[in-house]
Amino acid sequence: MSDVFEVGFLILFAAVPAALLRPRLGAAAVAVGLALVGAVGIATAGAWSHASLSIGSWLGFGPAALVSDQLAGIFFAVVGVAGAAVSLALVERRPGRVATALHALLALAVVTVIGASQGFLFLLAWEVVTLSLYLLAGLNRERPGTLLAAYFSGAMNKLGGGALLAAFALFYAHTGSFELNAWAAAAPHLSSGTRSAVFVLLLIGFGTKVGLLPFQGPLPLGYAATPGAIAAMASLALNAGFYGLWRVVYGVLGADVLWQGELVLMLGAVGGLVGILYAIAQDEIKRFLGFSSVEHAGIVLLGFGVAIVGRASGEPKLAAAGLLAATLQLIMHALGKALAFLGADRVDVSTGTDDLTPLGGVGRLLPRTATGFGVAVATLAALPPFAGFVSEWFTFEALLQAFRLDDTLARLLLALGAALLALTAGLALLAFAKLYGTVFLGRGRSLLSRVHEPSGAALGFLGLALLTASLGVLAPWEIRWLGHGLEGLLGFDLAGTTVTGGTRLVLGPVFENFSVLAPTWLAVALPAYALATLFLVWILARPRTRRAPAWTSGAQLAPARVQYTPAAYSNPIRVVLRPAYGYRRDLQPLETTGRSIERYALDTRVVPAFEHYLYLPIASLALRASNQARRLQSGRLSWYLLYTLVVLLIVLALVPALRS
Amino acid sequence: MTSAPLSSDHAQRFLEGRFRGSIEALPGAATALRLPLGTIDRAASLLTDEGARFVSVFVAELPERSLVAAFAFRGRIVALRAPLKDDAAAYPALSLHLDAARLAERELHDRKGLTPLGHPDLEPALHPDPDDVRLRVVDPEAFVIPYGPIRSGIFEAIQHVVETGGEDILQLETRPYFKYRGLESRFDGLVAEQGSALAERIAGIASVAHASAFSQAVETALGIEAPPRAQLWRVVHAELERVANHLDVAMKLAEDAALSVGVARFGILKEDVLRLRARLCGSRFGRGVVVPGGLASEPRLAVDDVQDWTARFERDLFSDRRLLLGTSSFTDRLIGSGRLDRETVERLGGVGPVARAAGISTDARFERPYGAYRRLGFDVVTADDGDAMARLDVRFGEIRESLHLCRQALDRLLDLGETTTRVEVPADESAAFGWAEAPQGELVYWVELSGGRIQQAHIASPSLHNWPLFVASFQSDVLTDFSFIEHSFGLTPAGADR
Amino acid sequence: MLAWILRGLGKGVVTSRYPHRPEPELEGFRARIEVTNSENAGAELEAICPTGAIRVEAGRVSLDRGACILCGACIEVAPERFRFSSAYETADRRRAGLVVGEVVERTLEEVRLPLAAQARPLRRSVHIRHVDAGSDGSEEWEIAALTNPYYDMQRLGLYFTLSPRHADVLLVTGGVTSAMRAPLERAYEVMPEPKAVVAAGTDACSGGLAATGGEIAGGVDRVLPVDVYVPGSPPSPLALLHGLLLAAGIVVEEAAA
Repeated sequence: MSDVFEVGFLILFAAVPAALLRPRLGAAAVAVGLALVGAVGIATAGAWSHASLSIGSWLGFGPAALVSDQLAGIFFAVVGVAGAAVSLALVERRPGRVATALHALLALAVVTVIGASQGFLFLLAWEVVTLSLYLLAGLNRERPGTLLAAYFSGAMNKLGGGALLAAFALFYAHTGSFELNAWAAAAPHLSSGTRSAVFVLLLIGFGTKVGLLPFQGPLPLGYAATPGAIAAMASLALNAGFYGLWRVVYGVLGADVLWQGELVLMLGAVGGLVGILYAIAQDEIKRFLGFSSVEHAGIVLLGFGVAIVGRASGEPKLAAAGLLAATLQLIMHALGKALAFLGADRVDVSTGTDDLTPLGGVGRLLPRTATGFGVAVATLAALPPFAGFVSEWFTFEALLQAFRLDDTLARLLLALGAALLALTAGLALLAFAKLYGTVFLGRGRSLLSRVHEPSGAALGFLGLALLTASLGVLAPWEIRWLGHGLEGLLGFDLAGTTVTGGTRLVLGPVFENFSVLAPTWLAVALPAYALATLFLVWILARPRTRRAPAWTSGAQLAPARVQYTPAAYSNPIRVVLRPAYGYRRDLQPLETTGRSIERYALDTRVVPAFEHYLYLPIASLALRASNQARRLQSGRLSWYLLYTLVVLLIVLALVPALRS
Repeated sequence: MTSAPLSSDHAQRFLEGRFRGSIEALPGAATALRLPLGTIDRAASLLTDEGARFVSVFVAELPERSLVAAFAFRGRIVALRAPLKDDAAAYPALSLHLDAARLAERELHDRKGLTPLGHPDLEPALHPDPDDVRLRVVDPEAFVIPYGPIRSGIFEAIQHVVETGGEDILQLETRPYFKYRGLESRFDGLVAEQGSALAERIAGIASVAHASAFSQAVETALGIEAPPRAQLWRVVHAELERVANHLDVAMKLAEDAALSVGVARFGILKEDVLRLRARLCGSRFGRGVVVPGGLASEPRLAVDDVQDWTARFERDLFSDRRLLLGTSSFTDRLIGSGRLDRETVERLGGVGPVARAAGISTDARFERPYGAYRRLGFDVVTADDGDAMARLDVRFGEIRESLHLCRQALDRLLDLGETTTRVEVPADESAAFGWAEAPQGELVYWVELSGGRIQQAHIASPSLHNWPLFVASFQSDVLTDFSFIEHSFGLTPAGADR
Repeated sequence: MLAWILRGLGKGVVTSRYPHRPEPELEGFRARIEVTNSENAGAELEAICPTGAIRVEAGRVSLDRGACILCGACIEVAPERFRFSSAYETADRRRAGLVVGEVVERTLEEVRLPLAAQARPLRRSVHIRHVDAGSDGSEEWEIAALTNPYYDMQRLGLYFTLSPRHADVLLVTGGVTSAMRAPLERAYEVMPEPKAVVAAGTDACSGGLAATGGEIAGGVDRVLPVDVYVPGSPPSPLALLHGLLLAAGIVVEEAAA
């Protein structure tokens, strides 16, 4: 397996310059490389083999290697398989040179993060991820808002990178090495203060990548700005952050303090709710998907928090339940979100717009896109028997184990988390119904006469759709595979108690005799019921069909005018939750004849709370501080001479002190 | 509008002092002011500034063909009468200064071809096209929901065009006249009793009020008066009709709030009232009772029986009312919905329980008492909030007052010796206003008679006055409040459209 | 809620048992006008009726109930020929069936029993959509009264529905004004087969008083094919129930065909 691993990495490495010369070749190379890496990941996580690629010490700070052990294998598999499909879809899109090169660079950097065995390589690859995301966001400079998105995401990721650097520096200071294994060995011996500091720094560092509250701001903006299908790759880059949490926080640091788990739990629960609330209010597809990523990241962190709480309370099965739920959720999200972004790109190319308001009734004209997007929506909205339903079920089951804990606060917070998750799940149904319904269903709100599927066989798109659709059915095998993959972190194979039943197709939440779910059987039973009902109706009723126009109270108005618009669909939520949204609407008179007003213009505003109350104040503070600091560079020679003199005096004073 | 009522010579002096034109006496509590056509809008504006309320504008044939604008002013009907020459096709629009006159002028334009110059909104009113909706909000986020003309429920046909942003209501346009049957023209050539039968069928749920107003107009024009027995029975029938209408409003509001038990109980009460009326006169809606000159038939129940029934009914009703108003899930929907303020109601000339709930004490039985109301005592029920809850409170108060009036009338009937219920109707030539307080508000008829037959009639319907008030009552309400506000108004499109 | 329940129990059962048991006629209620003596009539009788419901042909007088607004003018002028009757089962499936001379009416039992058979338990339920095409407002009250506890039409399997797409019976009131013509036709078109149309009220049967004005079509049958005519101004709830059960019979028969 190591040679396959090596070949895969080499192809990815070569894809970056190849993409500059011939973009389609470069994208195809990325697809192949990621597929190989993904295959290695599947094999490794299932504990069938092991792979590693040594880089040597030329980076400095000790020997570096790219290793695929069980945990890394899971993430290699996810990023590899999904990334391969995304790159395959990119091949058909005729992308630009720079965009494809950045896409290849991003792919290479993400897999390097996952495979890094040494802290410095990890940080280097992390910064390359940041750089490529920043460059990708700023690619279409002419579009308004792009530069803001690029700066914002760049700044936030730099903040995260800085926190990671500080955390790694703390590790280095205590161990003198950059090897992750060395840190894992030394971690139990660190003082609790150091461990807490490292935990917070690592949480900030990885949280900025995945969209943890309150760092979620740039995520939707970045996705909206990233061009076309490459946004799908950007959403896969999220998994680098999750890997960091799994590997460094849970594995290396070994987080096992109760307050740490509770913090992550609450941030995840509230973040999920905030994400979906703002998603409902969005009228552009990619921004919607960005806020939905915030929501799903929140649910993943909810499970992760339960895992930490479980470990801190000495309940290894609870930790396993939480970690399993979180991993299932992130796998589902990676595949489903990538599929959704590919679908959004196809809609954008076919209709020329990303905005929901003029779209409608496109499903008949774009059947393949509608099917694939439908699979993505069903998965992300947690409809049975798809994978999203399975992972959310596991998350709920993990939260329901709160009664096994002794600490009252922990039980309360788990219950609260479950309640917030339920609310989030309900709102997610509403949000995704709005997305799918207003784009693909109903009647068109504007004339879309020349809408047709983008050219190409859509292999990547449909392949990813097929995989995502069957992920729920494949859940038992997926869990058995994850059991091996997470064994290193948990210390035991959770598949033993999770996958039960005579046919080994029934799932339980790690604890025995608690509850069961059988998505494989569901996937058989639900269609069977539907078909049986249709058959009965056809046999017994023999319906004849006659077409009649839609009923609108006796008046025959143009169907497009009496349909719910996307903003109107989410309007009731905005009106009911007016304080949360800061929703305001004004009617401005446009034309007046005599004493009666003929026409009005509508102005609705939603106040994005985090931008308004958190980011903008901090940004203006930073700008003010930097403006003050700029005064240091006065341009006058006399001042610079004075600086030199002061520094010289300080050095002269300090060196003897340091010597002794 | 709490100024002192005018007696006829006071009226003469008051009007002569302020307006250029000659005063003409009209039968009953009405005065006409003859003035040139070109000054009618200014005169109307001045009169409104003095506190008059717009009633209607129409074309009268007697004593000569003229444009008449009728106002209710300090206890009298003041009619501004401008003679129309044969080729007169236009006149200065009253709506330029009077928002209350917009609908009436549009209808007049469609029916008689007189153009109101300067009307801010002159669109064809009669024969509306359900598909031709005029949309006002220019924004891709807003869309339109047409409520009607076929409504969701057993309701009369009217179209409300709601422009909404999804839940909040941005603009509302109410389009009446879907039920325009041209019944006003049908009066031409009928004899007096037939006119009563026609009046009853203009607004079927306010039959007694329409027949009373019509008979009042005929009797006033011909200088006769119905005998006291007939007047007292007319009061009983009119008040029973008011009770039935208000119970219908309570029932519809309970249905909107999905309070099925409230719907059932108020349905029983309303059915009890209708069955009593059927036993009294053979018609559940009190038809065939009120004719010019008195009553068309003898009541079929003894006064004692009706009094017993009234006592039992009042007990049942007030128990149910207490339970209904104690259900907070019901009252919460009404409080704060569809709030109307006093200025808007006065500006648009609102009448009836809707106006009374906004704090305006206007009631035709009180301002220009007619029939037996001149000798019976009752209170005009008002409220201050102007929202749907206030309108319901006013209605329950009016039910109490109606039953009180019934009891007084029945007591007097017991003591009354004579037995005549009808007098002869002479065949003179005359014209007059007649009015009644219908359950929806003040209803005014103008009837012209000649040679024992009706020449023409005009009706000022309270429901038509109050539709603009309905549109104005939507401040910050949302779609789910819509049916509550509509039913709290309790208007009848059949009466408005005629 | 308990207070409501106790009050309801105290009231007892008030629901009519029609059509399984005969409902006693309300004495004096003006349900319809009957011709008691149709022989030797003069043509001057025709001028009495404001809607022209009285016809004299070859010395025989007949009354068209579909145009009779129950104003009672004919009874006042010629009480020996006409009188009010409180028999409430006035509906008929044919328009001509509403024209009566001195015809021996079917007895109550003859009409009631077939209808009772129709309203047996476990029969198919019938959904009714009401459309107001220009009525005077009282028919709507009588139709809405069918759901109150006195009549409770739901015990017979009759329901009101808001969408014509779910309706079997179209219940039309009013003589079809020009503005309501197109909406009414659309409502009919959107209903699935089998369907029946009931014209409720004299205005719907013939246009009533407004028929001569030119503003209305003159009855629902000028616009749609009518299956059951229910005359009356307005028809009482029991008459409506009778008419709706006739329509329900039509719908069920058609469906079985």
